[in-house]
Amino acid sequence: MADLNKLRYTIESCNHCGQCKWLLPGRMSGWDFAAMCPIHEYYLFDAYSGQGMLNIAGEILSGKMSHHEDLAEMLYTCTACGACDINCKNVRDMEVLDTILELRRDCAEAGYLPEVRKTELEKVMNTHNIYGLPHEQRFSFLPEDFKDDPEADTVLFAGCSAYRHPETILAAIKILKAGGVKFRLLYEDEWCCGASLWRMGAHKEAEELIKRNVETFRAKGVKTIITACAECFGAFRGGYPRFVETEFRTLHITQVAAELLQQGKLLLRDDGEDMTVTYHDPCMLGRLSEEYVHWDGEIQSWGVHVPEKEWRRGEFGVYEPPREILRAIPGVKLQEMVRSYEEAWCCGHKGADIDGEFAAYTAGERRREAASVGAEVIVSCCPFCREALDSKDDYNLKYMDLTELLADNLREEGQV
Amino acid sequence: MSFSDQVYQELAAVVGERYITRKDFILAGNRAKTPEMPVAHPSAECIVCPATTEEVAEIVSICLRHDLRYLACVTGCIPSAYASGPDTVFMHLKRMNHMEINVEDRYAIIEPGVRHVQLYPEVRKHGLSYAAAAVGPGGSPLVTYAVTGGDNHVQYGASRPCRYLLGVEMVTPEGEILRTGSLQTDSGWFCADSPGPSLRGLVRGYSGNNGKLGIITKCAIALDQCKGPAEIRREGISPHHKMFMDGDCSRVYVFNYENIQDVCDAMLALGEAEIAATVQKYFYLPLTLMMTDSANDFFKKWEYCKKTVPMPLVVHIATQSPEEREYEEKILFDIVHETKGTRIPRDLEMWWEEHMDYFMIVTRLQSVLRLGGSWFPCKASAESVQHMCDIGESISEFIYDFTDTGKIFDAPENYQIIPMEYSHFASSELLFMWDRFNPDGFKNMMEFMAASSATDAKYFYHGSTSSGYGPSAEKKGKLYSNAHIWMEQIQKAFDPRA
Repeated sequence: MADLNKLRYTIESCNHCGQCKWLLPGRMSGWDFAAMCPIHEYYLFDAYSGQGMLNIAGEILSGKMSHHEDLAEMLYTCTACGACDINCKNVRDMEVLDTILELRRDCAEAGYLPEVRKTELEKVMNTHNIYGLPHEQRFSFLPEDFKDDPEADTVLFAGCSAYRHPETILAAIKILKAGGVKFRLLYEDEWCCGASLWRMGAHKEAEELIKRNVETFRAKGVKTIITACAECFGAFRGGYPRFVETEFRTLHITQVAAELLQQGKLLLRDDGEDMTVTYHDPCMLGRLSEEYVHWDGEIQSWGVHVPEKEWRRGEFGVYEPPREILRAIPGVKLQEMVRSYEEAWCCGHKGADIDGEFAAYTAGERRREAASVGAEVIVSCCPFCREALDSKDDYNLKYMDLTELLADNLREEGQV
Repeated sequence: MSFSDQVYQELAAVVGERYITRKDFILAGNRAKTPEMPVAHPSAECIVCPATTEEVAEIVSICLRHDLRYLACVTGCIPSAYASGPDTVFMHLKRMNHMEINVEDRYAIIEPGVRHVQLYPEVRKHGLSYAAAAVGPGGSPLVTYAVTGGDNHVQYGASRPCRYLLGVEMVTPEGEILRTGSLQTDSGWFCADSPGPSLRGLVRGYSGNNGKLGIITKCAIALDQCKGPAEIRREGISPHHKMFMDGDCSRVYVFNYENIQDVCDAMLALGEAEIAATVQKYFYLPLTLMMTDSANDFFKKWEYCKKTVPMPLVVHIATQSPEEREYEEKILFDIVHETKGTRIPRDLEMWWEEHMDYFMIVTRLQSVLRLGGSWFPCKASAESVQHMCDIGESISEFIYDFTDTGKIFDAPENYQIIPMEYSHFASSELLFMWDRFNPDGFKNMMEFMAASSATDAKYFYHGSTSSGYGPSAEKKGKLYSNAHIWMEQIQKAFDPRA
């Protein structure tokens, strides 16, 4: 059962300072690109913000408000990008995003999961992927002569996005092979990571799936999981420990590749195209990717947490490896956007099937920001950011996946 | 008359359906109680987001016609930003967010929805700055200048925000658009005064009008030259951003003192020498909180800071040349030596140096909320440096009854004094914290405020109390600023609903 009561301290601590909505001074640059919360910027009303969600949670908790369809639509339009959470935690000891996620769980358990999310849930439960495509086709993109190492304790977790963007997984395979990394795939044993279930508040189903996945990893002797999907990465790091004890290490392909580059195990072509790129930090790879550490204690006078809590403030997300890769590729010039690193503006993807106009606005804002720094290409490494940002508009910007960009620039071909 | 569908339709016709709502779950975002003022607020009937002064005027007229309360708000961080009764129309001025900087004449025209995180970097690009506390990135500069207080560390060579207001555009309680200063004669935004009686004092008063006299929809504020580095060097990832005020022409020093009179002497001497960009006797509790990562971390550092920096004087030297900096440093060290100050340990001073600009925009000060979020200011007075020190000394007469019994946080020296106009003027603030986990916490806070007010009355210490505190002000006698009395008289004369 959802338990908003556990978040009462956060819910009752909000002073409406507004820091959840605006860029932190450490990255401020001017009038433009100063907003941080996509739903607040689009819908304008304070309820559409971290602060507003806490206020709503407070009324739900006190029984003054009940869940209903309109409220559910609002709760699920939020992309749960966590910008509010990280901004609040700049000066406070509060769990804003966890409150939003718990509010969704409460909403789902009250029977108000929006139809699009219900459908997504059914697809994952029935077909083990978010698209509802046949499970047996999950790895159908692999060349017939592909060979992995069945004895390896490192697994490349393809993720559901392999259905739509198999080129990213092929690129990851190429990088790992070129770098001499021994790995295996899980084939029919690989199911959805469960990120969407956890984040939509379908906890019972998420727990079931996550436990099943962890048992599979154990049965296969997996010690390290590598993924090219930011969403899977964020789920393994920030979601799984909420449901089950985990002992395996999770790495994003950019972390592995950056290290291989540093070790001189990946050689890059020097005839690459000159281009100015900007890097978009995916929420689940950046600010939301710190490992979750369970805390079950008491908040005492003056907000002291007993026992002391390990906070996830977004400081230790995966920020540098993608940038190291971009800086290493000959011809690539990296230009940072104002809203970058832990202060990245969300791509808006998760709101797309609730309010398409909002999602388009959010992605458009990001493309406008990318164009404003003179970028010709916006690079990221999340399949969902790709779907949001790879669009046609007046900015004449190309989208490139970082894993694919790196693989294309490898001098020595891997043996796929 | 009460709020009705007809009123809603009239308001929607002004702003458009997209910018008005009466959905209860959206109204919930503007009625929640806050930790420092844990009282329930009535819900507004609707929230409406006007985009122009004319739309605000139309909304006020509709409210007048239907005898409805109305309220205009931008950030919601102060207790008066909530409905005070039934049938209230809540105006959110977020869409009014245009700004313009006149570099040549050094002023900025701002609307309520412009935030400090937007204005501050824009004026810095032109080597300019402004003298108002930012209260966090999302705070509204217009509100700081025209509606509330907000003394800032950079005011040492400058003055209070209220003295920087130039042209002001507002909607009166009658729903009319009023333009003051040079705007009144269509001469532009550059000047606060115009033929006839000056309206700036009436608009701004001593402590802000707190909404009594209308809704300020646009104003121009004077800007100062900003000494120090043109580019602020930044490092780190939140929560450990660093913003350096370094370079050849900028240095930050923190000194510790044994007693308040010595601090006072140092500030006055610095003022006479007309050196430094920022000088202040700073709160030692927030100073510690600003260096901590959590409430737990605070309690690990508090004893050290309490012993090491009980009475810190922060000095920021910012000059036009390295030679000028060396000159100012030499004088500074002479003054500090003569007034018996000592440099604090380098680790603490360094921390301050790495965050100096953060303090100028006061974002890190929000860390005071880390101890549960329950704080309150008092002794918010303004006159001379010596007067502020006298007020500081009077705090010891009543504070120990509260700190020794655990009614408020044990930090009896936790007040700041900000000298302005090179020490010709100054302001003070005692910031105290009460524990909201204590069932009597709120009661303790109210008792403490009463005790503070009693010493003000005893010594005739006036405070920048708003008109809502009239009865309290009356007790303080003739020395108390009478701005609230004038405000109420004006309101009675012009506000049809007063």
